[in-house]
Amino acid sequence: MSLIECRQLTKKYTRGDNEIIPLDELDLSIEAGAFLALMGPSGSGKTTLLNLIAGIDRPTAGELRVEGTDIARLSRSKLARWRSTHIGYIFQLYHLVPVLTAYENVELPLLIQPISRKERHARVAQALELAGIADRHDHYPRQLSGGQEQRVAIARSLVTDPPILLADEPTGDLDRASSKAILELLLRLNTELGKTLIIVTHDPTTTHYAKETLHLEKGRLVSEAPPALAAEVKSAGDGRGERDA
Amino acid sequence: MRLLPFDYATRNLGRSPGRLVLAVLGSALVVLLVIASAAFVRGMGSSLSLPEENSNVIFLGAGSEESVERSEVSTRAAEVVATLPSVRTRLGERYVSPEVHIALAIRTEESQVEGRLTPVRGVRPTAYLVHSQVHIVGGRTPTPGADELMVGGLVGGQLGVDASRLALGKTLLIDGRPWSIVGHFRAPHTVMDAEIWMALTDLQVVGQRDDLSCVVVTLDPALGDFTDAEVLAAQRLDLELTAMREVDYYGALARFYAPIRAMVLVTASLIALGGILGGLNTMVAAFAARVREVGTLQVLGYPRRAIILSFVQESVIVAATGALIAGVVGKLLLDGIAVRFSMGAFGLVVDAPVLAIGIAAGIILGIVGALPPTLRCMKLPVGQALRG
Repeated sequence: MSLIECRQLTKKYTRGDNEIIPLDELDLSIEAGAFLALMGPSGSGKTTLLNLIAGIDRPTAGELRVEGTDIARLSRSKLARWRSTHIGYIFQLYHLVPVLTAYENVELPLLIQPISRKERHARVAQALELAGIADRHDHYPRQLSGGQEQRVAIARSLVTDPPILLADEPTGDLDRASSKAILELLLRLNTELGKTLIIVTHDPTTTHYAKETLHLEKGRLVSEAPPALAAEVKSAGDGRGERDA
Repeated sequence: MRLLPFDYATRNLGRSPGRLVLAVLGSALVVLLVIASAAFVRGMGSSLSLPEENSNVIFLGAGSEESVERSEVSTRAAEVVATLPSVRTRLGERYVSPEVHIALAIRTEESQVEGRLTPVRGVRPTAYLVHSQVHIVGGRTPTPGADELMVGGLVGGQLGVDASRLALGKTLLIDGRPWSIVGHFRAPHTVMDAEIWMALTDLQVVGQRDDLSCVVVTLDPALGDFTDAEVLAAQRLDLELTAMREVDYYGALARFYAPIRAMVLVTASLIALGGILGGLNTMVAAFAARVREVGTLQVLGYPRRAIILSFVQESVIVAATGALIAGVVGKLLLDGIAVRFSMGAFGLVVDAPVLAIGIAAGIILGIVGALPPTLRCMKLPVGQALRG
């Protein structure tokens, strides 16, 4: 069974008299260990799909199973608990808490886990180390660069050891060099730790790192890789992550 | 339920020091107003209430039940009252206090303005037995015929002068005539604290009256009760007396002033409500700027209740800090301040119950001020909150 299964997944909003359908009867299966790039124009439903998988939003119709759990049927509190152990979410604008240090930001998701202080400390230290930001553990977000902030955010998403990492435009606010470093870090998390990674992006560079690229338009899957990109992605195959080095 | 750590709330307060200072000061002002109102009500209430065990009876002129100053009692009546068998006696001294009460225009020697109407009580030495709340704290009792007087603890506030102007040996002018201050007394939480006492005969001369205002007696419960006093007043119609328990007399006064106290409370409540609405406005703006943070915390797995509680904690910390400041300021600046009213003056009372009311008001202010803006933040779907 796939890690994530979407069947006829639909999301509709009503704004005034207009009905907006960001996701329209989407069928999709994502295997464990995937590194999937979701691309498409603005309003194509990429972030909506990501939010549905994260349990941040609920589908209007269809079925969404993650690790066999129909998450749309979970109550709000159960969903929050489920999310804290199954999903790591990485935001474009990092969303770090400004009054907390890097260490404390990373520690935040663990404070709701039933673990000892010692274990918490060990996990935070490990996550900071993995994200390559351990030397800035006592810095506040305002004292960090964009790339460093995103590393802290990645460490925060990792610290609960979730099987799935979701990233919404993780390099959208970064310069080229920082973007490359972040993508390489994400690739390492996928290849070395086996995390399933789904990235929403507008940046074609990301597809060089992803194992698979899906395109969405008007809430529907148009292809797994448009012809123009397919060759490029394929050529990235063996040496993934080295394109922009 | 797993909660956000307490210091998450405290640290968030430091995000905007300017806003924090304003919020604390705003809360302090609202709570100070609540404390001042409570101190007013409590001060007035306690000055017009006597302990239940008080067994004093006031004999007033018939028809003058509501005001001792308008009452007239003959000296003959006083002599008859003194024979009441149930009057307490100690070492041969009967607890009977014939008194004259007059409000006189009094000013200090240094004052150039017209004197202020101040309640003056003419008494005999037995008054100190009958009014056991009175304690002489300095000097001595006035000698009859020597133009001497004693001042209560709130007289300074009543006259609007500094305590140093009422030191022993200083002079007060009554109708331009100098009277030496020879004693200080305190009678906390009673109307007597704002009075000037002098010898009965001296005040009769000043007031040009040869009768009395009232006779106050202390009954001995072992010898009889209030019924004896009532029977005396009822039987001796020639004396034109009315007997009232002292507790009832001040109780009636308290009821008379109840609308004023209610008005003070209503005014304070309305101003506090205005403060809460102003605070809400600030909180709405402050929390609206943190919508994205609320979304992030939910994505990290924090239940909504934990986030609401943390935001309310922040608000309560601010409001309680303001309340503490208000409590200290209230205790230091308001406690004991004399407030003039028709019975003379009473002191504002900032005691433990009043401070507790202030702190409780602060905490309520914090909760009420934070809940609506927090719930408003929470109403947004998480995805929308993340977009800010």
